Amino acid sequence: MRGKSELKVHLLALVMVIIAEFIGIKRFQVGPGTVLLLPMLYALVIGMFLPVLRLVDRRDMDTASPFIGFAVMYLTAKMGTNIGPNLPKILSAGPALILQEFGNLGTILLSLPVAILVFRMGREAVGTSFSISREGSLAIVADLYGLDSAEGRGVMGGYITGTLFGAIFNGLMVGFLVATGIFHPFSLAMAAGTGSASMMAAALGPVVAAYPEINTELTAYAASSQLLTSVDGLYMSLFLGIPFTEWLYRKLGGKPAEVNSNSAQSGTGHKGGAKK
Amino acid sequence: MKMANVMRIFVVTAILSLIGNFIGFDISPIAALPGMLILFVLVILGYWLSQVSPIKLPSIAYISALAIIASIPGVPGADFVNQYTGKVEFLALTTPILAYTGISIGKDLGTFKQQGLKIVLVTLLTFVGTYVGSAIIAEVVLRLTGVI
Repeated sequence: MRGKSELKVHLLALVMVIIAEFIGIKRFQVGPGTVLLLPMLYALVIGMFLPVLRLVDRRDMDTASPFIGFAVMYLTAKMGTNIGPNLPKILSAGPALILQEFGNLGTILLSLPVAILVFRMGREAVGTSFSISREGSLAIVADLYGLDSAEGRGVMGGYITGTLFGAIFNGLMVGFLVATGIFHPFSLAMAAGTGSASMMAAALGPVVAAYPEINTELTAYAASSQLLTSVDGLYMSLFLGIPFTEWLYRKLGGKPAEVNSNSAQSGTGHKGGAKK
Repeated sequence: MKMANVMRIFVVTAILSLIGNFIGFDISPIAALPGMLILFVLVILGYWLSQVSPIKLPSIAYISALAIIASIPGVPGADFVNQYTGKVEFLALTTPILAYTGISIGKDLGTFKQQGLKIVLVTLLTFVGTYVGSAIIAEVVLRLTGVI
């Protein structure tokens, strides 16, 4: 019975949400950044144990998968309502701030060839490579491919990696870039706004530490860039990032999409995703 | 999927979020209900638009656009939208997503383990690519425009 399975999935999700939120957010300071453990991670980990405990079967998994796409829509709406109030500020940003947003696409040129040519990855590479895998990217992949597809595994893995190690890694990387002296501190500050608040803070830290006398300007540049990314990130990825990644994936000879994937339509149930 | 089924899932997800919002952030479901209803309306409208619009875009593109417009200061009702959606925490909305993902992910665990380290390494490369890409463009434009 489909209805029985659905009820079971909702009740399980309810219990998982309650447990996860009861544990709450945990922070650990490690070197230049913070490791953040969020309730959503606990929910995911609990879910991984459900089949082991024989609490869910294959049918329940299939029942749950389209719900992901619907749950993501609330997050998308919430992100949108965070953008509106800041829109007037965005319109006054300078050309450097606006153009550097396209740099966020630069990641595809670096990460996708490595993923395919060096690591021989399949469609997971598409989900991981097109962005830094933050919430907006989860929403896009959930909508286009479904989060339980190969692309979904890619972006989920990226999301978990970023949540756990993103701040630390960015702190170390920028510390290194500051030391090389290649870039002007303004450029480094602008680049720090990549769409994740904790990563921005970690990336800005070494720049501010090296140039404390222009601290306020650096912070303003980073915050504006961060704001811009939060506004354009979703559309940039949807209209430029994903199509470019798909194109480059084919050019590099990546394996074709799984034909038997049950998730092509499961994201939201609407047609017109990037995958047939 | 039938609209009735879709509505049911939207309602259940909203309830899960309200409960998470209460336990995790101490915001009572009654205080958060108006904000949740606003998000609900935005989601339904955006989803509906994606189904009927001649321009085929993913529903999140519509939902995001509607939510941005509804919250721009000066737009009628924007203050109301901003005041109440502020009571629904961003992170409380992420937990149900990963709960459903957790339930459905069991069948992919094998592949996940097999690909895990590669995904971690490629993700770290995306941080480098995004950051350095932006820094290069910023550097070039700042020099061309004479700011630095």
